[in-house]
Amino acid sequence: MMFVTIFRSPGSLDLSLSLSLSLSLSLWLHGWKYKKINGVCKSNSQNILQASLKNPQLLLLSVSLPTPPSETVFFGGLPLGAIEAIKAAYGVLVQILDPPRDGFNLTVKLNLSKLPPDEEYRHALLVKIASVREVVLGAPLRIVLKHLASRTVAPDIGQLVALVHRPKESFFVVPQTEKVTVLFPMRFKDSIDTILATSFLQEFVEARRTAGLNNAPSCLWSHSPPLELKGAPVEALSANAGFVSFVIFPRHVEGKKLDRTVWSLSTFHAYVSYHVKCSEGFMHTRMRRRVESLIQALDRAKPDSEKTKKSAQSRSFKRLSLKEARSSKNL
Amino acid sequence: MDAATSRPAVVIDNGTGYTKMGFAGNVEPCFTSPTVVAVNESFINQPRSSVKGSNWLAQHSAGVMADLDFFIGDEALSRSRSSNTYNLSYPIRHGQVDNWDTMERFWQQCIFNYLRCDPEDHYFLLTESPLTAPESREYTGEIMFETFNVPGLYIAVQPVLALAAGYTTSKCEMTGVVVDVGDGATHVVPVADGYVIGSSIKSIPISGKDVTLFIQQLMRERGEHVPPEDSFEVARNVKETHCYTCSDIVKEFNKHDKEPAKYIKQWRGIKPKTGAPYSCDISYERFLGPEVFFNPEIYSSDFTTPLPAVIDKCIQSAPIDTRRALYKNIVLSGGSTMFKDFHRRLQRDLKKIVDARVLASDTRLGGDVKSQPVEVNVVSHPIQRYAVWFGGSVLASTPEFFAACHTKAEYEEYGASICRTNPVFKGMY
Ligand SMILES: Nc1ncnc2c1ncn2[C@@H]1O[C@H](COP(=O)(O)OP(=O)(O)OP(=O)(O)O)[C@@H](O)[C@H]1O
Ligand SMILES: [Mg+2]
Repeated sequence: MMFVTIFRSPGSLDLSLSLSLSLSLSLWLHGWKYKKINGVCKSNSQNILQASLKNPQLLLLSVSLPTPPSETVFFGGLPLGAIEAIKAAYGVLVQILDPPRDGFNLTVKLNLSKLPPDEEYRHALLVKIASVREVVLGAPLRIVLKHLASRTVAPDIGQLVALVHRPKESFFVVPQTEKVTVLFPMRFKDSIDTILATSFLQEFVEARRTAGLNNAPSCLWSHSPPLELKGAPVEALSANAGFVSFVIFPRHVEGKKLDRTVWSLSTFHAYVSYHVKCSEGFMHTRMRRRVESLIQALDRAKPDSEKTKKSAQSRSFKRLSLKEARSSKNL
Repeated sequence: MDAATSRPAVVIDNGTGYTKMGFAGNVEPCFTSPTVVAVNESFINQPRSSVKGSNWLAQHSAGVMADLDFFIGDEALSRSRSSNTYNLSYPIRHGQVDNWDTMERFWQQCIFNYLRCDPEDHYFLLTESPLTAPESREYTGEIMFETFNVPGLYIAVQPVLALAAGYTTSKCEMTGVVVDVGDGATHVVPVADGYVIGSSIKSIPISGKDVTLFIQQLMRERGEHVPPEDSFEVARNVKETHCYTCSDIVKEFNKHDKEPAKYIKQWRGIKPKTGAPYSCDISYERFLGPEVFFNPEIYSSDFTTPLPAVIDKCIQSAPIDTRRALYKNIVLSGGSTMFKDFHRRLQRDLKKIVDARVLASDTRLGGDVKSQPVEVNVVSHPIQRYAVWFGGSVLASTPEFFAACHTKAEYEEYGASICRTNPVFKGMY
């Protein structure tokens, strides 16, 4: 059967739901026609949604996962427990194709005719499909935390579990019966980002100490690798923004809380990097405002005669106040 | 090459009215949302002297929180309607970025909250209007590279992308005139082999927003009972759902008068304050709205040149060897070209002007020399509304795109000035 690509999404940051994917799915459901464009189909694009021309009820969703570093163990190209997690999450709606399509870790066939008729439930399920990466990548974490809820340790799992979350990067989980420690080596590419992230994380740990958050998992930050990571390979221990560790107790994973905890942990890196970018934007806002006010002060200090004519001097500030430059050009 | 080149590029078309965003290789943008930011400005104008002593810290952090408190797109609109702590800020005016603060925040939300991708992992393709100053490109570059650390950036000219959108529907044709009628600006831009002929660009001060305003005015003057705070939105809705282009205004008036049942539509709404339902008639504005492009004098007394005449002037001012090719490929783009039969009317009116000129020159030269007829062709394609975005999506999925981008390394080596120019690359011609 022939399949055409109707949607691709990167899903790099979004372990989390790629809303757009769910949007695309619902558009498809509502009978939208997609046309193939002659772009090159890259083997490494992250999620790809393909539709069958003959039977519009059938969709293929292919996912490629970040390359795991050496310490992470994949089983048949997928993290531990991924297959079970998919079956549990989607039931009859999906069928896992073995082997997956070329260049992908996982290909599932979605049968849209099996979608529930109830609009709300249906939407929830579509969103769940859109967050397939979280289901797959978070599978081992879910297993560990599920065992924590029943105060046991998963059998065939090591003392230090590495879970991939970014290309060639992993975070670590130390499972115990009474608590699970989750450790994130934090890495950033840009030097400014690294500094901002470091101070953000220190503040973050500080904020945990405020009275209102007593029930939250305890959280620590350190510059050097914490003791728990003794067994980890050296490459995994280089982190330019330090290490964050969370201690999760059974009360954090009771019943419905489990899903939320898995979600927050899987997206922790994205959370930090989002806040780093926000702070940069915020500082730029402040800097611009400051420059505006300094320019105003300079303008006020000018003698009257200069104010009237457009002096060469005011030109030299043109990069700072773009608006002025534009209005003088009358665009 | 690095991992970022193997991921689809992010394509964002920031327009005056709507921002179209999505990933390269897709047929449609993932999101189309109004280009608007709701900002909390309650702390901006506080005089410094009033801030004293121990209160200072509290005041300061309240100011910080206010700066971080904002929404974009549809959410911004609904927030500002329901509470008065937020002011709406439109970062783009007439196709040009006007407020860089809110623009930066808008991009931030687009990337993290809508597209949900890590900007460090994707090349970016942004668009700009043909009249943007190079300084503005530098500024865009600064924000993209400094704040978001994008690995690569390309700033494309909107009409060129709109031409590229025709790429898949017809054969590869990068010579043509793009008529881009958006929300805040209308440009007629001739492009030859992917290069914009800058000296011949024509702009018209009438665009989608003016059509909406005109319809609003018509309905108000006729005394339709639309609540004033809602009337702009109603007018926009009427425009997008009921307007069409007619071939002859007088005949159209007659048709409406003869068969009101067939032509007059009803609009039903609910008053936002009281929740009471209301309804009103939509009649002549259905065809008078789009008519402002063809007979601008019915709307404004300052600008009276019809769109077809502007297009003709534009082509006549282009280099003589490109003119035939330009007449042959007139491409529509932008939301306000979506009126039914818009391209037919444009084609007919333009053909009239051209034929008249050919006839005049033939008679001037006497009967012996016959000039070849000029082919006039107004192209309309189904993705016209997103043509700019779609063109970006097509181009950004070619391998040449990545080579044409300015990279972060180049930015760090040479500074923001590299963003002033963006090379035309293969695939564009
Ligand atoms: N079906 C339709 N019929 C008529 N007008 C429409 C339709 N759909 C959208 N519009 C109008 O098109 C305009 C938006 O078009 P578009 O998104 O191309 O503009 P933009 O890119 O935001 O602005 P610009 O290019 O001027 O900066 C709005 O004024 C909208 O009301
Ligand atoms: Mg536009």
